[in-house]
Amino acid sequence: MLEIRVRHRFRDFALDVRLSSPGPVLGVFGASGSGKTTLLHALAGLVRPQEAEIVARGRVLCGPGRAWVPPEKRRLALVTQDALLFPHRSVRANLAYAPGAADRLAGEDGRRILEVLRIDPLLDRGPENLSGGERQRVALARALLADPLLLLLDEPTSALDAELSRDVLGLLRHVKRELAVPMVFVTHRAPELLAIADDCVVLDAGRLVAQGPPVQVLQRPSALGVASLVGVDNLLRLPVVGQDEAGGVTLLGLGPGLSLAAPFCRVPAGTGLDVGFYADEVLLCLETPVGLSARNALAGEVRALDPVGHEVLATVRVGETILRARLTPAATRELELREGAGVVVIVKTTSVHLLS
Amino acid sequence: MPTPAELDVVLLSVRVAALAVMVSLVPGILTGWVLARWNHPVRTLLQGLVMLPLVLPPVVTGYLLLFLFGRSRPLGQAWHALTGGHLAYTTAACVIAAAVVGFPLLVEAIRLSMLGVDRRLEQVSRSLGRGRLDTFVRVTLPLALPGLSAGAVLAFARALGEFGATIVLAGNIAGETRTVPVAVYTLLNMRGGEDAVVRLVTVSVALSLAALLLSFRLSARRRP
Repeated sequence: MLEIRVRHRFRDFALDVRLSSPGPVLGVFGASGSGKTTLLHALAGLVRPQEAEIVARGRVLCGPGRAWVPPEKRRLALVTQDALLFPHRSVRANLAYAPGAADRLAGEDGRRILEVLRIDPLLDRGPENLSGGERQRVALARALLADPLLLLLDEPTSALDAELSRDVLGLLRHVKRELAVPMVFVTHRAPELLAIADDCVVLDAGRLVAQGPPVQVLQRPSALGVASLVGVDNLLRLPVVGQDEAGGVTLLGLGPGLSLAAPFCRVPAGTGLDVGFYADEVLLCLETPVGLSARNALAGEVRALDPVGHEVLATVRVGETILRARLTPAATRELELREGAGVVVIVKTTSVHLLS
Repeated sequence: MPTPAELDVVLLSVRVAALAVMVSLVPGILTGWVLARWNHPVRTLLQGLVMLPLVLPPVVTGYLLLFLFGRSRPLGQAWHALTGGHLAYTTAACVIAAAVVGFPLLVEAIRLSMLGVDRRLEQVSRSLGRGRLDTFVRVTLPLALPGLSAGAVLAFARALGEFGATIVLAGNIAGETRTVPVAVYTLLNMRGGEDAVVRLVTVSVALSLAALLLSFRLSARRRP
């Protein structure tokens, strides 16, 4: 689907990436400053790399040599973190912006896009009267109505809270399934790639450090560098056992009498929910603390302590589930942690990412 | 109340200033766009040239224009070939003089309002299939409109008051090039012209103040 070879030197940063991806949804993961947005802009034609060959779905967009297609001829619609709706146009006029979009909007394709993204009630509003999630839905519909070869998504959920992120992610999956539009999805949140990408690459300091199916790259990183970059050591599929809408939590079963409080979402009890959280965001205590804001204080048993560089990855069994926490050797020493020790695992509800 | 002859002078001034803004509008918008969006060392030089009439003595600007548009000068001859007449000492000369001195105010207002337009909106527009010019017309220009209209009104006000360059390039011909400032200057040198001066000055102050207030109001208007 996509062949990219890009080299570009900035004053203090060099991007040097070569990749080939079958798609249909390529996830690009990296911390801020890893070059992922620059890569996306090179793809969109918004920066002109010093050296580049880019072929998207059989179309040569860039190179070899001086060949270069300007952004407006690439048919790669960009959706960014801030929806960037045109403030002087109504929602309807935003949707009809791309050449041919007005006709598509009136036709069958347009009807399906509006339906999938639930745009109908928003059509005659102004962008200033939309919530963050609504804006992002309109931005997605606007991009889809441009009839793109590829949808370029630059951290489309990072300006949204957990519930809205999940909503937008769900819509993207719906778009992928119903409308079959290939995408390049850039994010610094690894769990999102597990939810949507078929193929994924990890960028670090302008270089590609890993590529493969997301589950393999992100869940079982083969290289230590990738593991620490990705850092999602806790990926779980758990059944919904309870809801507390006012309290903003959904309870997920970890075993008899044990549950994990995740951010609230409206799903029936018994449904299996995929959640992920970083080992960095897990704390270990010797006793259950009092007056704690975090909703999860779970008794468990240390099963392993693996030194990883200057850190220790602790594996803890809670009920029938294995959780991982990242600690300093100093903390390990002070708590006198060893295999078989009893600990209390603390996880904030807001650290738990909903993936499905 | 101004006499009919004085009213003609005022109307001529308003006509000249309005025409000056109209002919400046398209070049002003393009120049403002280039200055706001073009990253090149030559840009500073261009900006300096555009701003020059703001700081030059208007009489010097008038002299330079006469130098360019005189009968035997290339631009003067081109004008002759185009219209069959001469430019200097005509209403058209008033318009050119007024346009040139108002131009920096217009361009600066446009440049600043275009700098205020989020470039990422332009990037999104291009990724949605709209070319550079199309993006300019559909996104940049409408979003820069408040600043643009404020700049146009300001340039109009400046054109109304133009004297130095006008007297050099267009002279002082009643009914043709005698605008309000030129008429006031003439009347001041005439015995018994004081009453007429007061009337014209009153109209001049009122018009200029109204234009300034309108300009402030327009530039304070914000897009959501």
